[in-house]
Amino acid sequence: MTDALRLERVSFAYGDVTALAEVSFALGPGERAALLGRNGAGKSTLVRLVTGLRRPAAGSIWVEDWDTRDRPPEQLARRVGSMFQYADQQLFARTVRDDVSFGPRALGFAAPEVQQRVGRALAALGLEAHAAHHPYDLPPAFRKLAALAGALALEPRLLVLDEPTAGLDRALRARVASALLERAAAGAALLVVTHDLAFAAETLERALVLDRGRLACDEPLAGLLAAPPRLEPLGLAPPAVAALSRALGLPGAPVREADAARALARVAAGRRAPLD
Amino acid sequence: MTRLSLEHVSFWYPATDTPALADVSLEVAGGEVVALVGAVGAGASTLLLVAADLAPRVVGGRLEGAVDFRGRGNGEGGRGIVLPTPWTQVSGMAFTVWDEVAFGPANLGWPREQITRHVDRALARLDIAALRAREPATLSGGELQRVIIAGILAMDPALVLFDEPTAELDPAGARMLWRLVRSLAAEGKAVIVATNDLDALPDVADRVVWLEQGRAKKIGPPALLAEDALCAAGLGTAVAVVWRAGGLPRPYPLTVDDAVRLWRHR
Amino acid sequence: MTRLHPFTLLALAAALVALAWLLPAPWGAAGTLAVAAVLALFSGAGLTPGASPGSTGTGMSPGWRPGLVVLRTAVVTAAPFWLFLFILHDVPTTVALGLRITTMVASVVWLVAVLAPARLVEAMVAAGWRAGTAYLFAATLSAVPVLKARAQRIVEAQRCRGLSPRGGLGPRVRALRALALPLILSALHEVDERALALESRGLVPGARRTPLAPPPDRGAERAVRWALVALCVAALVWRLA
Repeated sequence: MTDALRLERVSFAYGDVTALAEVSFALGPGERAALLGRNGAGKSTLVRLVTGLRRPAAGSIWVEDWDTRDRPPEQLARRVGSMFQYADQQLFARTVRDDVSFGPRALGFAAPEVQQRVGRALAALGLEAHAAHHPYDLPPAFRKLAALAGALALEPRLLVLDEPTAGLDRALRARVASALLERAAAGAALLVVTHDLAFAAETLERALVLDRGRLACDEPLAGLLAAPPRLEPLGLAPPAVAALSRALGLPGAPVREADAARALARVAAGRRAPLD
Repeated sequence: MTRLSLEHVSFWYPATDTPALADVSLEVAGGEVVALVGAVGAGASTLLLVAADLAPRVVGGRLEGAVDFRGRGNGEGGRGIVLPTPWTQVSGMAFTVWDEVAFGPANLGWPREQITRHVDRALARLDIAALRAREPATLSGGELQRVIIAGILAMDPALVLFDEPTAELDPAGARMLWRLVRSLAAEGKAVIVATNDLDALPDVADRVVWLEQGRAKKIGPPALLAEDALCAAGLGTAVAVVWRAGGLPRPYPLTVDDAVRLWRHR
Repeated sequence: MTRLHPFTLLALAAALVALAWLLPAPWGAAGTLAVAAVLALFSGAGLTPGASPGSTGTGMSPGWRPGLVVLRTAVVTAAPFWLFLFILHDVPTTVALGLRITTMVASVVWLVAVLAPARLVEAMVAAGWRAGTAYLFAATLSAVPVLKARAQRIVEAQRCRGLSPRGGLGPRVRALRALALPLILSALHEVDERALALESRGLVPGARRTPLAPPPDRGAERAVRWALVALCVAALVWRLA
């Protein structure tokens, strides 16, 4: 089975400033990875390379069997759905519905199919009530969701998202989480750039950590979040649930809220958990 | 000393019937950090715009009630607001980060030496002195947010308003920012911050205002974020929410430390 | 060239445009166009070799390239006018008006290329203008690059959703149409947001800004500016007489 995404020794620089240095990793279908790291570590650059907007200076990026160096972004859009950091700059239609349908229409789907895809994407993010609004009339948080819906409507095999939850409240973050999990269950691979480690803990399973352009870590996310001494040098800190798990010594070291709540309930009932 | 007081303030954006703010009364003193929490659209951003005297003056719309700010006019000792998306607040007229931060103070007409002092200090506070010669267009989102915050602080406001200041920042940057917020209060400034980063608030906020559909539903200490009603509304800290979801009894712990203490005494 | 005082650059552009219309066509217009072309060619002159485009404030790199870009932009922008003129008028009128319009276009394109908005603000503020007015002028100057940058971002976003800007005439026209409305709407939306943002940065009506780095003004440049004004007045008088 081909990987959904494969980077082989990818390097990129802006002038003489190295943004990425020999980054290699592969994502299988349905795999959910968090791309973590400090501001300026190269995460957004990597997203732009995967979408084909820029070509790597060295190395290669494969989306299934396509080499991104050979394909323009509009072609890669058949397989890669992307969302950049600045949602405002990605919305360009007069209504949310029109904007979300832009992608499927550009890819040449028939009108009924387009409608269905748009309907699914809007429903996944709870945007039906805003479908007829102009994107600029919505608060920034909903604009972000609209941009995400645009990517979801492509129903791609690979979703590459840059900070999809920045500025969202708990309810909206949960909507994003469930929409992404649903896509992954359907076989899409996820690569999500995020500072929101709590969201990552809920939604993603693998941690790819960039440090000054290099891939410093590639391992299961839960394990990394349970090890604060390793997080600190990378500029990260364990989110509250992981910290709580650790402090109370919850069995299984859960990092997701539902799992932690269950563990707490079980332990409280059994009154058996040792501390530390 | 009360810096800002809102008395029964209601606000309607232009051409809307539903008020964005409904009968909100709030007093903020110098040296205090007040956090606004609520769902998207609850009115936090609007409240900040009203407090900054940008609504209705620049934004349009209609205001009822009284907004009273005791500072020294606009700028120095005035009100500064950091908007949620840094790239809209960039001047577009600066070659370097230093110039960008100096944009505000220069517009206030301060003498050159005062500008330099304030800008250098702001750059140091936001830990971006190393970026001073960089071009703003080449900065990452997080770096730009720091630059904008520095630009507002360089204007030495007496009331500082933050709208989602950590949205673009990485965890280390967020920690730096919350430390900065506390140090601003320690200097005597009044600070109001709207944020979804609820877990940070117990260490940062002196008071929390729960906004829902434009109303100030409840105002109280950060312990509010462990109350049942707020947890049910999705506005509790993660620890409180998990505790509650696990079916454990009240009072819910606010922080990990609280949870450990409660756990030990069970 | 970018080191000249902003007012000098403004004066040059204004004088070229004025003279293009005042002097008799076609020779007068051809002459001013030639001057404009020379100025355009030398747009990159005086930039420190190896300087990064951003540090010059105008996004230009040193050397001949900026000059060629300016010329090409001017020609491309002026071309549709020539087409319309050719359809509507006879040859002599077409040439006369065409040369004048091309001079105007070339002067404006050149000005936008060599005059950094930030420097214009500094110069105006140092000369006593209010901050808001200075910013308005500078914003007009940077309108085109800003729109270009915004257009590029919109095109990128559209490409990432499958719209191809390349291909035959059909797809290209569609792509252009897909770009035009969003560009205008987002530009208008940004005006709203900008007003709010700039107020928050102290740019209130009546603000008197402190110049941070006023561009130096040489006596020679001031003399040249007055000479240009005099030249234009003389041309006007001569034409009226």
